[in-house]
Amino acid sequence: MFLALKEIKKEKLRSGLIVFMITLIGYLILILTSLALGLAQQNTDAIYSWDAARITLNADANTDMRQSFLSSKQIGPLSKNEAVIGETSVVAKAKGQKQQSAVFLGLKASQYIAKDLKLTAGRNVKKATEVVVDTAFKTAGYKLGDKLTLNDDKQKYTIVGFTAKAKLNIAPIVYGRLATWRRLRGIVAGPVASAIISKDAKYQNTRSGVKTYKTQQVIEKLPGYSAQNATFVLMIGFLMVISLIIIAVFLYILTMQKLPNYAVLRAQGIPSRVLVGATVAQSLLLVLSGMIIAAGLTALTALAMPAAVPMAFDIPILAAVGAGLLVMALLGSLIPIKSVLSVDPVSVIGG
Amino acid sequence: MSSFTIKHVDQIFGSGTAQVQALHDVNFEADAGTLSLIMGPSGSGKSTFLTIAGGLLTPTAGTVTLNGISYTERSKKERDALRLDAIGFVLQAYHLLPYLTVADQFRLVDKVKPSGNLSPEALEDVLQTLGIQALTNKYPGELSGGQQQRVAIARALYPDPAIILADEPTAALDSARVAVVGALFKTLATKHNKAVVIVTHDLRLREFADRTYQMEDGRLSEAS
Repeated sequence: MFLALKEIKKEKLRSGLIVFMITLIGYLILILTSLALGLAQQNTDAIYSWDAARITLNADANTDMRQSFLSSKQIGPLSKNEAVIGETSVVAKAKGQKQQSAVFLGLKASQYIAKDLKLTAGRNVKKATEVVVDTAFKTAGYKLGDKLTLNDDKQKYTIVGFTAKAKLNIAPIVYGRLATWRRLRGIVAGPVASAIISKDAKYQNTRSGVKTYKTQQVIEKLPGYSAQNATFVLMIGFLMVISLIIIAVFLYILTMQKLPNYAVLRAQGIPSRVLVGATVAQSLLLVLSGMIIAAGLTALTALAMPAAVPMAFDIPILAAVGAGLLVMALLGSLIPIKSVLSVDPVSVIGG
Repeated sequence: MSSFTIKHVDQIFGSGTAQVQALHDVNFEADAGTLSLIMGPSGSGKSTFLTIAGGLLTPTAGTVTLNGISYTERSKKERDALRLDAIGFVLQAYHLLPYLTVADQFRLVDKVKPSGNLSPEALEDVLQTLGIQALTNKYPGELSGGQQQRVAIARALYPDPAIILADEPTAALDSARVAVVGALFKTLATKHNKAVVIVTHDLRLREFADRTYQMEDGRLSEAS
C-alpha cells in the first residue's frame, strides 16, 4: 500500500488519467445498470405489487396473460389468497390530454388485488364506469375526475384514484372492473378472466385446459422482457471486460517501466510479495477512486433525471456491480504480477 | 576470523559443449573496516563473483559465509532476508524508485524490515557524511547522477549491513569524482566498520583499497 500510495501521489497526471477512464466506464456501467433495473421494474412492478407467487393461465396462451382466457369452470372456487384479472391493451384518452398507451386490468372488487390496491390519491373503484390509474397518467397531466375513453369504446370512465408502481410491460395500468374488461374485449359469453393470481406458492389449478406457473416463468415470457435484460447484461458484461483490459494494459505498461527498479529492490532483498502487493493495491486504489467518483456522478444524475426516464437506483445491486469492477481490477493486475514475480535480481549486476 | 569468506567456489553455466566455467576455485576474505577491490577486465568473472557474494546465485561448488553463517545452502526466501538484513548493494545503475523521495527510500526499508536499521541520528550522520542531508524531500529525478549515487550508498547502509558490495561505482566518472567516491567508500569501511567489496576495472580506486584482488578468466588472486 505504501508504494502504491506514493506512486499515485507522485504520478498524479498518469494516475488521474487512469482514474478518469475508470470513472467513465464505471459511470456508464452504473447508468446502464440503473436503466436495466428501471426497465425491468416497469415490466414487472404490477406483478410484484400483487405479491404474486403463482399465476394460472389458459394452457394454450403460451404463458402470455394477454392471450389467456379462462372460463368460470376453469377458475373454480378461489380462496382469499387468489384473485382473477382480465388483461387487455388499451389506448386511453381524455379531452385536452395526450393519448396514453396503457394496459387495462379488470379486477373483482371482492378479491385481494382490488382490496389491497394502494392509492396515492383518490379512492378505489366502486362502479364499472370508474377506474384507478397509474401515477404516469398524473405525470402526463391527467387529474382525478377526468373522463377517459378506452380504445374506440364510447363509454366514458372516470378517474377516481391514482396508484403508484402500477406498470406492466412498461405500460401504465388502468384498473377497472372485470365487466369492463369483457366489454373492451367484446366478450359476450364464455371467458370471465385472463388469469388467476395467487399469493400462495402452493396454489395449483389442475382443471382441464389451464396451467399454473411460477411468477418468474410468466415474467420471463413478458414480451421483450428477456431479450431486453439479456441485451443489458451483455452490454454491462462487455464493459466489465473492457475495463479489465484497460486496467490490465495500463498496469502492465506501468509495471514494465518499473521492472529495472524492482530488480534492484529484489537484489536488495525486498520480498516479491511487497512488490506484488504494491501492484494489486495500486490497481484496487485506482479502480476504487474511479468507482467512488462514478457513484457520485450517478447519484447526481439520479437527482437530475426526469421521472419519465425509467431508471432505478438499487444500492445493493449497484454496489454489487461496483464490487464486480473491483474483482475485474484484481484480475487485471494478475498479468503485470506475473512480470513482477519473474524479475531476476541478477540482471542488475554488471550494469 | 574474517567477517566474509568465500571458499573454493566454482561456478559453471550451461552444460555439454555450451558449458562455461565462470569461476574456478575462488577464495576470498574480507574483514569489517576494510575496503577490498576485485579488479579485472570485462568477462573475467567479476559480475559472477558479485552475484554469488551477494547471495543472488548459488555457486556450483564451494561456500560463502557471512559472520560465520553459510548462506549458499539457504532457500531463496532466506537469502532474500539475508540480503535485506546483512548485505548492502551499491549498483552501477542506481535505479532509485522514481516516485519515492530520498526519505521514503529509507521508509520503504522500515516497512519491510521494521527493526535493526540505522537510528534517525545514525542516518542523519550518514547523510551528512555523504553530503545529502538537505535532499531528503527530493525525488530521484530532481537529483544529479552523483547525488543519486550517494543516496543509493546511504540506502545500502541504512539496514546496517555487515558487508557492502559495490558494482563499478566509478564507471563513467572523471578522476576528481573517482577520488571523492573512493574516499567515501573508504570512510564507509573505517567509520561505519563495514567490510566493503568493490568490483571494478577502475585502477584509480587502488589507492583507497586495503586489499586488491585480480580476477582473470574466473580465477581470483591477490594482487601485490
